[in-house]
Amino acid sequence: MAVPSLRRFRPTASNPWNRVKAAHLLNRAGFGGTPEEITRFAGMRIDAAVDELLNFESTQEIAFPEIDFTPVHRLFEELVRLRQSRAEQQTVRAVANQLNRANREKFQEIRASWVSRMIQTRRPLLEKMVLFWHGLLVSGFPETRSAEHMAIQLHLFRRMATGSSKQLILAISRDPAMLSYLDNDTNRKGRPNENYARELLELFTMGIGNYTEQDIKEAARAFTGWTFAGNEFVFRGAWHDDGVKTFLGRTGNWDGSDIIDIIFEHEATARFLPRRVFEFFVYQVPEESLVEELAGVFKRSNWNIKAILRTMFLSEAFYSDKAMRTQVKSPVQLVVGAVRTTGTEIQPLALVRAMDLMGQALLYPPNVGGWPLGKGWINTASLMLRYNFSTLLLNGAMPGVGGGRRAAPARVEHLIDAGKTKTAGDVVDQLVDRFVQSPLDRRRKWGLLRAFGTNREDMPIAATGANFQSQLRSAVHLVMSMPEYQLT
Amino acid sequence: MTQGMTRREFIKKGLTMVAVGVTAPSFITRTALAMNNPWDVAQVTSRPGVPDDRILVVVQMGGGNDGLNTVIPFTNDAYYRARPNLAIPQKEVIRVTDELGFHPNLAQVKDLYDKGAMAVIQGVGYPNPSRSHFKSMEIWQTADPEGRVVRYGWIGRYFDSKCPVCEQPTVGVNVGQAMPLAMNAETGMGVSLENPETFQWMPALNGLGEKEEQELFKLLNAPAPGVDEPGTIDFLRHTAMNAHVSSERVRAAVNGYRSGVEYANTRFAYSMRLIAQMIAGKLPTKVYYAHMTGFDTHANQRGTHENLLQQLAEGVSSFYRDLEAQGNADRVVVLAFSEFGRRVAENGSNGTDHGTAAPMFVFGKAIKGGLYGDQPSLTDLQDGDLKHGVDFRSVYATVLDKWLGADPAKILGHNFERGAFI
Repeated sequence: MAVPSLRRFRPTASNPWNRVKAAHLLNRAGFGGTPEEITRFAGMRIDAAVDELLNFESTQEIAFPEIDFTPVHRLFEELVRLRQSRAEQQTVRAVANQLNRANREKFQEIRASWVSRMIQTRRPLLEKMVLFWHGLLVSGFPETRSAEHMAIQLHLFRRMATGSSKQLILAISRDPAMLSYLDNDTNRKGRPNENYARELLELFTMGIGNYTEQDIKEAARAFTGWTFAGNEFVFRGAWHDDGVKTFLGRTGNWDGSDIIDIIFEHEATARFLPRRVFEFFVYQVPEESLVEELAGVFKRSNWNIKAILRTMFLSEAFYSDKAMRTQVKSPVQLVVGAVRTTGTEIQPLALVRAMDLMGQALLYPPNVGGWPLGKGWINTASLMLRYNFSTLLLNGAMPGVGGGRRAAPARVEHLIDAGKTKTAGDVVDQLVDRFVQSPLDRRRKWGLLRAFGTNREDMPIAATGANFQSQLRSAVHLVMSMPEYQLT
Repeated sequence: MTQGMTRREFIKKGLTMVAVGVTAPSFITRTALAMNNPWDVAQVTSRPGVPDDRILVVVQMGGGNDGLNTVIPFTNDAYYRARPNLAIPQKEVIRVTDELGFHPNLAQVKDLYDKGAMAVIQGVGYPNPSRSHFKSMEIWQTADPEGRVVRYGWIGRYFDSKCPVCEQPTVGVNVGQAMPLAMNAETGMGVSLENPETFQWMPALNGLGEKEEQELFKLLNAPAPGVDEPGTIDFLRHTAMNAHVSSERVRAAVNGYRSGVEYANTRFAYSMRLIAQMIAGKLPTKVYYAHMTGFDTHANQRGTHENLLQQLAEGVSSFYRDLEAQGNADRVVVLAFSEFGRRVAENGSNGTDHGTAAPMFVFGKAIKGGLYGDQPSLTDLQDGDLKHGVDFRSVYATVLDKWLGADPAKILGHNFERGAFI
């Protein structure tokens, strides 16, 4: 196999732009398409398809409701008032508990509304990028205590998702959720707190091995006094160490924004973010030559993320065998993709809970390193949870999720085009096209035929037959219980 | 003590295995064979004098535990000078020696210490310590501070070394959401679960019938004979089969035992209870892995750290009492570690930043309890951090050699000195 390159992919007769590639683009640059969307994208020119996803500003987004934090504000104000008036301890505690509960409910509301947004959005690449940043510039409960701060951070990611990453790094350094998650809100002169400085260098911009422990200590000094009040960034001069610092060999009276300027002068930074973007969208451990090329694009575009994305989605590497159908779906990808693919209606909180069990709890990242990629999602238990997820879609409950009232069985007949269905083989082909989007070997195909009580592709079948609905439901569950469905 | 399935169970399960076995690749066939009598395999490889039914439980204290506030040098002025806000007052410390004591919330494990069932190994670390959570955790889990590229974990390499029951997926059981790198084995053995009830594939039951659906599940998931598939899909098939052959056994083991011992209502205690249930249920397992998180106390450390030590002590203590009630206490050793300790001096946030050496803890009825290693100097520091006296790999070597009867040099790459705690 030739080494994949970032050269423009030029469709040829033997390697055309087709439904398989259009499906791949919709999967990776979003959460997957329905057969109709895939057909539409396959009918466009490749750069028009990529630009439609990339230039999402020109797509009118659905008006999603804003989350209302006034109940939390009211309880907070009441608590302050009670404390100032030295109210009885018991009263104070009762209101504090109410506030905690209200805040926790808002956390759930943000999670549910984000998942609904990923399912319904007309700007799938934007939501995919918000997910990318949430997993890279990590904040979350319980270290970030305020749900509203997390909502503000998601807005920030949505606003700056594909623009200048240098501006985004500066903005996140001043973001209340981040300031509390990595404790910079208490970082002060004299005895600095290294938490933010270390992770900024190690996980957000440069990567380990490109700075010393002394650089971390000096950067921590530069970020002293960067804190927040309410929902706003505040610079506290009295807490700030305005002495001279030497950071990455440069000496001066640096503050946090100087540190970020110096970070972005380094070659390691030019390679770090493009590598992370590539690994998220294309494949892990990219060839150094690819990273080098992307770093060039990144620098020339003044740290612009959209420039990297466009190069990537139009490249030979993106449509190479190494990339196609080799990525393990994240739980979000699996769950959101399945709901989009099947058009099922289901309580978003149940979906959030399913993702939690599979190991991707939105707003509750496992640690500052964020979530794994690839095989890291898969172990014996998570795989069974992922397989069983189809019963949540089909029957409204799965082990670990549900408890409440079972929803009426979801409709499945719309997954099959009755007009094109004459044989059992036709049904299986349509299911494979919708769910797997690549050919299946004969044995596995034979297994799916068995769900329709036959060994033969040419067995006549009527999509209106008495047993057909129930057979189709079994077949959907089996398709979603296959290793092939775990990949995209 | 016999472990594993009865003959009748094997015949029942063996048949389902054979159904897969017709087309199955070697690892599944091996699994099916091994299920016949798990300890048969053991007879071939075990070392004389080391019983095969010994179990290791690893407890990972994620985030970097503050060793100095766990095992406290309460007569050392340097400790109180470095920590004006965070130091544990002398009168609160649970005294162990004239100079060292436990955090007050470790009272329950102090009982184990007094019985000789707890060893504290002080000043554990490694050369050129990394203060990155991720790098240092990787180093501890692969036992590789030298930066060779190691794909498999130290426990995984033990599974690869033909240990007793190593042919069974349940040889390693992780209780937690993600499989630790430590258990990553070339043979792919080891299972991971959080809740036994969700650890099973559910048929859709839409008229096909459960039996037929289970058959189709195997057909759709089993690796194809003679087909060379790309790594990831092969890994998925392998994992699905490991789940398939172990989920019923795990649930049967767990459901067959109800402990009379009370456990605290924490996630860690829940994990330890589940492990105790699996041990009582005779699951063929050599290593269990449990997790605690939240030790990364950069700010407002006091309450958080107190609470975590309380959870640790409660979880370990209940587990130990449970094992005693089962009659299994002398078969099990618990090893608790963290990826690093914390800076000697507190920061301005009433917390501590990443440090280096810290104590490790070993629990078990069969061990030789006490204090091992020296408390690192609080004045002779390297970049503000403690210098380690004991290499963590010598602790691993001791456990591998003296407890599990394996060859540490083969697994760890060097012949590290053995400790006296076992």
